[in-house]
Amino acid sequence: MSQAGRAVAPALVARGITKRFPGVVANDSVNFDVARGEVHTLLGENGAGKSTLASVLCGLYRPEEGQLLRNGAEIRLNSPRDGLSQGIAMVHQHFRLVDRFTVAENVVLGHKSLSFVLDNAAIEERVASITQEFGLPLDPRAVVGELSAGERQRVEIVKALYQGAELLLLDEPTALLAPPEVEKLFITVRAMTHAGKSVVFVSHKLGEVVDISDRITVMRAGKVTGSVRRGDADVRRLAELMVGREINIVPRRAKSPTSDVLLSISQVHLEREGAEILTDINLEGRAGEIVGVSGVAGNGQRDLAEVVAGLRMPQRGNVTVCGVPTSRAGALGARRAGLAYVPEDRLGTGLAPSLSMVDNLVLTRKRGFIVDRKSALRESEGFIRQLEIKTPGPLTPTRKLSGGNAQKVLLARELFAVSGARVLIVCSPTRGLDVGAVEAVHALLDEARDAGKAILMISEDLDEVMTLADRVMVLYRGRITLEQAGIDADLDRIGRAMAGLAS
Amino acid sequence: MIVFGRRVRMEQRLTTPSSLLVVVPVLSVLFALVVGGVFLALTGHPPIGTYLDLLDNGYTSFYGITDTLGLATPLVCTGLSAAFAFRMNLYSIGQEGQMYLGMIGGTWAGIVLADALPTAIAVPVVLCCGALSGAAWVALPALLRARLGTSEIVSTLLLNYVALNLVNYFIFGSTGFFRDPTTSFPQGRTVSENARLSPLSFFTDKVTNTYPTFVIAVVLAVSLFWLMKVSNYGYETTVYADSPNTARYAGMNSTWLQSSVLLISGALAGVGGAMYVVGPAGKVDPGLLQIGLGYAGIVVAALARYNFVAVILAAVLFAGLRTGGNALQASSDPVPIAIAVVLQGAVLLFALGGELFRRNKVTIVRVKQAVA
Ligand SMILES: Nc1ncnc2c1ncn2[C@@H]1O[C@H](COP(=O)(O)OP(=O)(O)O)[C@@H](O)[C@H]1O
Ligand SMILES: [Mg+2]
Repeated sequence: MSQAGRAVAPALVARGITKRFPGVVANDSVNFDVARGEVHTLLGENGAGKSTLASVLCGLYRPEEGQLLRNGAEIRLNSPRDGLSQGIAMVHQHFRLVDRFTVAENVVLGHKSLSFVLDNAAIEERVASITQEFGLPLDPRAVVGELSAGERQRVEIVKALYQGAELLLLDEPTALLAPPEVEKLFITVRAMTHAGKSVVFVSHKLGEVVDISDRITVMRAGKVTGSVRRGDADVRRLAELMVGREINIVPRRAKSPTSDVLLSISQVHLEREGAEILTDINLEGRAGEIVGVSGVAGNGQRDLAEVVAGLRMPQRGNVTVCGVPTSRAGALGARRAGLAYVPEDRLGTGLAPSLSMVDNLVLTRKRGFIVDRKSALRESEGFIRQLEIKTPGPLTPTRKLSGGNAQKVLLARELFAVSGARVLIVCSPTRGLDVGAVEAVHALLDEARDAGKAILMISEDLDEVMTLADRVMVLYRGRITLEQAGIDADLDRIGRAMAGLAS
Repeated sequence: MIVFGRRVRMEQRLTTPSSLLVVVPVLSVLFALVVGGVFLALTGHPPIGTYLDLLDNGYTSFYGITDTLGLATPLVCTGLSAAFAFRMNLYSIGQEGQMYLGMIGGTWAGIVLADALPTAIAVPVVLCCGALSGAAWVALPALLRARLGTSEIVSTLLLNYVALNLVNYFIFGSTGFFRDPTTSFPQGRTVSENARLSPLSFFTDKVTNTYPTFVIAVVLAVSLFWLMKVSNYGYETTVYADSPNTARYAGMNSTWLQSSVLLISGALAGVGGAMYVVGPAGKVDPGLLQIGLGYAGIVVAALARYNFVAVILAAVLFAGLRTGGNALQASSDPVPIAIAVVLQGAVLLFALGGELFRRNKVTIVRVKQAVA
């Protein structure tokens, strides 16, 4: 390629990237590029394939198809180390730091030109100069275990810069940050692009990306659904690209709503370590309806579910399930009152991964001194047939099932096997599932609603909430900031409420 | 890992082919024998002949196998103790100390309570007191672990040394309750005859070193195996071990599960110590301190992969190496006991190393240079 051609070539181009995992195409012929000095945002819901694409770009995953061009020349990355040698570094969603090491030690950890004896003074000096140049306030001698999430993230960024990164991939960097820390991060991002570096910013939060991005590319179900430049980006259009309104969703609504209040939450306050997590939550669930609670992750959804499930005790307020007060009754008390709970974390919380379907079905049953596995075995076989669960058999460990089938096992237990449960909480019931499984799960929930259960569905997936819920609520920073009937829910207003913009 | 320009790649197996369940342990033992054989050859002993002697003295001769079963008896208990805790991801290594306490508690019952009781009651009473003492010895670590999350590894290990000194103090350091009052020679006071069992003769008129307690240990292992399979307690501990979050979700009480598992584990090791009292020793006997059956229990549990029935086999295998090794040492061409210890260590190392192959698929690929 000519010298002139090189000058205008983007810093990194990905062409036709396809990456498959067992059962899913995480990236389906994805095209993506980022220029020098540009912030290019990858936006999409959970499971859209953003992290997978970022991992391909940094050399962690090798795609089955597609090619990468760095400054116009094709490159092949076999490991993140190859990526680093090309000046590409990724800051992962989950930090990869050693808690007991200092900031400086973490920064040089794994650095290839590390000598046997560390020259601490020199390292700390370089770390300090990086932190100054890019507005990353950090004490090189602080022990990482004692730092906040925001500070740890800065350590990761400093580490990438120390290793000579010219192109940074930030995977959901704001997921764990409080708003003031997000502001600081944005200052750093701007400092980096000023210095001619490129940033790929991965996020699923609509509200924040508009400010920081030069370009936004939206992904959904492994595919790029659209790309907009700074200035053309409006929240509504992006939301549509994210949730894929072009796919014609048939909304399902309550067929026989009643006025029987089965679940009532009143004035619930929850604090943790002095910070208010839930503030004045009031909510009623009636027999035969689904209440959808939407919101961006980390705004108190999981805590709300855990309070209702009896796993967390609120400081103030009451929860009643079928007329029985349960806010101090514990998990068993809530179940006894008639509650079933499908947590978001299927395999690590809802199911015991190494145990069989049979053993998982008895988990939330009343058990005598001897566990009755015979009836559970019969029950499993019934569920496998009725719900078309694909499994080698009822004795196979659940971790060997695909996400959709594991979710069916969990739903089967909570919907049918628990006798007498009339209130159901489900959290992100279709997260990470493929389209077919999503349909099946939605049909099951719809059926349970028609059977007269009161369902509280907490989901980040707006699409899902809009499809199923009879009433929609938005949780933002632990408060319910919006409540609408499902039929006339306004996507724009919901999107804005989720982003914390005044409605 | 890169060796000679080749990359050794390990991938976790999703399923373990059942053939490997047999092949890996057999190969582990074979490799261990090869390593031991090298040691034997280096020290000027014919490996094959020595192994045949070992086999005879440890397993196949009448006195060999009966000595082995006698030694295996407390070892089954400490092995069960370790397996019971390790299954739950509780790494208690206090079996040694808990076993001493079982010996002390059992002896106390044998002296104070057994005189008034018939043997059929006195022996169970002694065993129960041993169990209670072993459990009591782990109560503090259990409490610290369940309430404060303190590492049970360190606390149980430290208590082993305390227990060791306690035994030494009772016999050598003081002339108290456990010291034989009839002689100035430092030895333990013997328990009532009602609290003793006579050795099994296996339908001969020979006197062996195997006691009926071996049968009790086997019954204990089998019933534990069965109970943990079918009972709710076994179920809850299995769920907790697999996923503590799932246990919490289902409303299980983690404090209770963790502390009760540690207490039962302590009780099992304690029973082992009490079996030593009703069997060969009949008193607080510092001889028990020399053979390290508590620590060996950990090895046995690991070899048995925490399976309670397999613990019996592993304990017999292990005890046989020890008795066989002892016999070789005393033979006309004395082989140092160190060889038996090397063999035991090698068996463990290879068995644990074999786990790697059972759990992971290991492939060796030539390293391709990254194209920059
Ligand atoms: N290591 C993996 N093994 C199997 N499936 C994976 C793996 N990583 C991601 N996936 C699947 O690929 C899809 C895309 O995931 P991901 O890239 O993490 O999405 P995002 O970052 O947008 O939330 C999901 O369906 C997810 O379950
Ligand atoms: Mg991700």
